[in-house]
Amino acid sequence: MEIEVTLPGLLRDSVDGPYPLRVAGTTLAEALEDLLDRHPRLRVHLYDEQGQLRPHVLLYFNEDNIAWLDPLATPLRPGDRVHVLQAVSGG
Amino acid sequence: MPENVTLLVGTNKGAFFFHSDAARKEWRMTGPHLGGWEVYSLLGDSRHGRRIYAGTSHFVYGPTIRVSDDLGETWTELETSPRYDKESGFKLERIWQIVPGHASQPDTLYAGVQEAGLFASHDRGTTWSEITSLTAHPTRPSWFPGAGGLCLHTILVDPTNARRMWVAMSAVGVFRTDDGGQTWTVCTKGLPGVPTGMPDDGVGRCVHKMVQDPHDPDTLYMQFHGGVFTSTDAGDSWTPIENGLPGNFGFPMCITKSGALFLIPLDSDERRYVPEGRIQVYRSTDRGASWAPVGSGLPQRPEYVGVLRDAMAVDSLDSPGIYFGTTMGQLFYSPDEGETWNQIPAQLPRITTVKTWVTD
Repeated sequence: MEIEVTLPGLLRDSVDGPYPLRVAGTTLAEALEDLLDRHPRLRVHLYDEQGQLRPHVLLYFNEDNIAWLDPLATPLRPGDRVHVLQAVSGG
Repeated sequence: MPENVTLLVGTNKGAFFFHSDAARKEWRMTGPHLGGWEVYSLLGDSRHGRRIYAGTSHFVYGPTIRVSDDLGETWTELETSPRYDKESGFKLERIWQIVPGHASQPDTLYAGVQEAGLFASHDRGTTWSEITSLTAHPTRPSWFPGAGGLCLHTILVDPTNARRMWVAMSAVGVFRTDDGGQTWTVCTKGLPGVPTGMPDDGVGRCVHKMVQDPHDPDTLYMQFHGGVFTSTDAGDSWTPIENGLPGNFGFPMCITKSGALFLIPLDSDERRYVPEGRIQVYRSTDRGASWAPVGSGLPQRPEYVGVLRDAMAVDSLDSPGIYFGTTMGQLFYSPDEGETWNQIPAQLPRITTVKTWVTD
C-alpha cells in the first residue's frame, strides 16, 4: 500500500523527487520507516539524537496525532495520508 | 586580476549576500537565501571552485549544513551534517562556525557547534565526525552555557602549524590543541571567572570572540564577557588591554592582515546595547596597547542596538574593508580600514554573522 506524505515548506529541500511524497508499507510504522529510508535527510529534522520526535514536530495520520496511535497496529488504507506539521510555536 | 568582494550575511531568518568590486562603493544584494532558517555560520570557500557553506538551524527542525556552488542560486543540504552520537547524550542545536582547515589540508573543514563541541570533515563536507577528545575533556561536567547557549563559536587554525588550533566556548573558555586534536589544554590563566555556579577548574570563562595576530602566531586577542585581553604565549596567559575603551563589555572583534584590531563596546552585560545609543567602532593599531574611536559616517541619532559576536568581519584587500551588522538588521561597512562608514541600504532581520569572501 502506498500513501501520501506532506511536509512543511522548510523541509521541502530535505527530500528529492516528486511531491507530495509517496511511501509504502502495510502499517503506519512501516510507512514511517520507509519515509526515512527514502529521504534520510529528514531524520535529523524530525528526530533528535536520542531518536525522540522533536518537541515541536507533529506527525499526523489523517486527522489524528500519531502520538495517540499505535503505529505497529495501524493498517494503511487507500487514501490515508501522513502530515508532518509544526506545532504552533510562538506568538 | 580584478577582485570581487562578497559579503555573506547570516540572520535569524535567512542569509543575504552583497556583491561588489575592490572599490566597495556599489553593492548588489541577493537573497533572502534559505529564508526561514537561522543562519549562524557562513563560509565562502575558494579551495575547490566556489562554494558557500551555511550552518542552518531552526528551533523546531534542528541544525544542518547546506551548500551552494552557484552563489546561492541553488542549495543542497548535506547528506550528513554534524550530529552527536546517541551515546554522547549531547544535543546539537546550532552550528556557530564553519572554517577551512590548514592550507596543507585543502579538503578539511571544522564546525563549532552548540551544545559545545567540534566537528571535522576531511572530504569537503561530505562526512563529519566529532572530535571527541574535546567533549571528553575532564572539565566537561563544569561547562556552563552563557546567554547565547553553550556554544563553540570560535575556531582558530594556526596557519604556521597544522597541528595547533584554538577553540573558544561560552561560557567555558579557550582550549588549545598542539597535537592535531588528540589532547586539549585549558588556556584561561589571567581570565576572570564568571558566575556559573560550577566548580572553578579553570573553565567558566566567558570568551566572546578571539582572533590571532597575523604576524605572530603566539599572539591572540580576545573580547571577553567583561574585558579585552591579549596573550603573547599562545593562550597560556592573558593580560588586559583596555586603555582608551569606554567599557570592557562587547562581543565582536576582528583583525586586519596588517594587525589593526577592531571592536564595538556595548554598555554592559545587563544592557547589551551600544553606550548611550551611539554606535562607535574602536580601533587599535598597536597590538591592543591603546584604543581610540575611529571613523565618521555612523548614525548620529540614537540607535540602541547590539552587535553579535560573529557579526563583524574584515576583508583581505590591501586597504581592508571592515563590516558589521546589528541586532536590528543594519549593515555598515568601511572601505578604508574604519576611517569612513556607510550603511548598506537594506533593513535585514537580526544579523547573526558577517563574513567576507574575496575572489578573482
